[in-house]
Amino acid sequence: MTVEVLSGLYRPIIMGVLLGGLYALIALGLSIVFGVMKLINVAHGDLMIFGAYFAYALMTTWGIDPILSLTMGIPLWFGLGFAIQKYVMSRAFGISMEAPLIIAFGISLILQSLTQIIWSPYSRGLEASYALGGISLGITSVPKTYLLSFIAALVVMLVLREFLRRSYLGKAIVAASQDKRGAELVGINTGRVYAFAFAIAMATAAIAGVFFGLTFPFTPTSGVGFLIIAFGVIIIGGLGSMLGTFIGGIVLGLTQTLSGYFLGAAAQMLFVYLIVFVVLAVRPQGMFGR
Amino acid sequence: MDVDRNMKVPINQLKLMLPVVLVAVLAIFPIIGTPRVWLLYLFLFFVYLTMANMWNLLAGYSGLTFLGPGALIGLAGYTLVIVTWNDLPFYLGIIGGGIVAAAFAALIAVPTFRMRGIYFAIGTLVVPEALRYVFYLWKPVGGEMQGGGAGYMIKGIGGLSLTEFYWLALAIGIVSIFLMRIILRSKLGLGLAAIHDSDRAAASSGVDVFRLKLYAFVIAAFVTGAAGAIFYIYQGYIAPVSAFNIRWLMICLLATVIGGIGTEEGPIVGTIIVVFLHFLLARYGALSLLIQGAILVVIMLLVPEGIVGLVRRKTRNYQSLLQLATRR
Repeated sequence: MTVEVLSGLYRPIIMGVLLGGLYALIALGLSIVFGVMKLINVAHGDLMIFGAYFAYALMTTWGIDPILSLTMGIPLWFGLGFAIQKYVMSRAFGISMEAPLIIAFGISLILQSLTQIIWSPYSRGLEASYALGGISLGITSVPKTYLLSFIAALVVMLVLREFLRRSYLGKAIVAASQDKRGAELVGINTGRVYAFAFAIAMATAAIAGVFFGLTFPFTPTSGVGFLIIAFGVIIIGGLGSMLGTFIGGIVLGLTQTLSGYFLGAAAQMLFVYLIVFVVLAVRPQGMFGR
Repeated sequence: MDVDRNMKVPINQLKLMLPVVLVAVLAIFPIIGTPRVWLLYLFLFFVYLTMANMWNLLAGYSGLTFLGPGALIGLAGYTLVIVTWNDLPFYLGIIGGGIVAAAFAALIAVPTFRMRGIYFAIGTLVVPEALRYVFYLWKPVGGEMQGGGAGYMIKGIGGLSLTEFYWLALAIGIVSIFLMRIILRSKLGLGLAAIHDSDRAAASSGVDVFRLKLYAFVIAAFVTGAAGAIFYIYQGYIAPVSAFNIRWLMICLLATVIGGIGTEEGPIVGTIIVVFLHFLLARYGALSLLIQGAILVVIMLLVPEGIVGLVRRKTRNYQSLLQLATRR
């Protein structure tokens, strides 16, 4: 009996951890922007979906492999992020508390309708020959896309973590997030640092978009739901910690698959949102936050 | 002396008469054979105006950046469904919708008011998303075939025409304008102003921050809910995707920000522009959203105080210039 329950649980747990990796991948960029600028970039989900569509366009017109297309996607999104922060958001921060939020919301609307105009509202998906089918993990088999997303999330998380710890720019970003005026006093150009932070966040959104597109079908409005999930991830993981974000993703992924296992597939998203809401109300600084 | 009094009275009367005449003219529009399209857009104007007014009360005056008006509107719409499917009259659905929305607001106030600033915004953004899944699962009335993702038809409104919908919307629109005037000139309004500037300072000078925010939240929720129910009486159909939709937030946000957040006239001016945009861009679908998003960004960057705020600043400058000129 117990053995059966445990072996039954094995699959949702493995799936939850892998799915959590994808969630963490989506949330990493949001976490950087939130941690550094205290801005909830509500356009993050749409920027990610836009990245998925960009890879889709390259895949369908020139047959470029989605993961390979990131060699174009990452620099493009990096530049896009830099421009958004430098020319739009930096001005918004000077206006009022709500202004950046409202502007991010406007950008989200623009992106949603832009993707709808270019690629129609129909559901799309990314394909790669090596990502088809499943792969055996112990006593169960999981889709290869899940495993790929998890590995990608782990790599991006570790790269970001080391970048923030070791490089000059990374340290400057951390300094600016901890104390803006203090950072300025020691000669850090916070405006520039913000722009780089936003650009890095967008580059991770491009990566997340590709792996998301490989895993799930997407429509122009898919971004909103995943924005909330990504926000839940960083709330659970705590601010500014890359490892915390990764753990937060896995917690949320497990929440989803386990509640799906026990309560049925229809209830799983409701349960995820409930968890996000409860954590927000009880511990807004995050489960692992200071 | 008589002449003097006669000179004074008309000005006051004019100020009072103008809105009355305006309302009277608006009220007889459906009777005098105004085109249906006009009535429809005016109907939408009043409904959106009500929602924008209430959103302005929260975001502009109470410091509550509430991102979940869809939750209140959707709940009110579903209350309308439950009421009308139980063969009760539709007006009970409107009142019931308001009451359910207000009760829900009171319920979520306890956890969400703990969240500060940006956390409150996101916490309330989650609410309609979660409720959407509740109404996918929960089928309050009807058989297996109705409800869930398929949605419900609203019953018991067969005898109503656009004229009645229009009057309902006009009524709630006027109520929302008067409500704003009354609230802002009351003690509640003063307390809210203090909270908006600094909730800590307000609390330390004896303002019960939680209670005042709760009052504003519940009042706004009631009126928003009632307006949502009126909208669904017109629509005649409700489904989770459209009811708990971010579109509602967009309307409130656009109308308030374009007109001028934290100004009384702002939502009126903003809603006129939003409805006019809907009218102009109705044929273009996704492009319409694109343009609205672009307007939102541009207005926020260039005129963050909105049109009303801009006009006020300009006229103030002009007046002070005029004063300087006349004094010298």
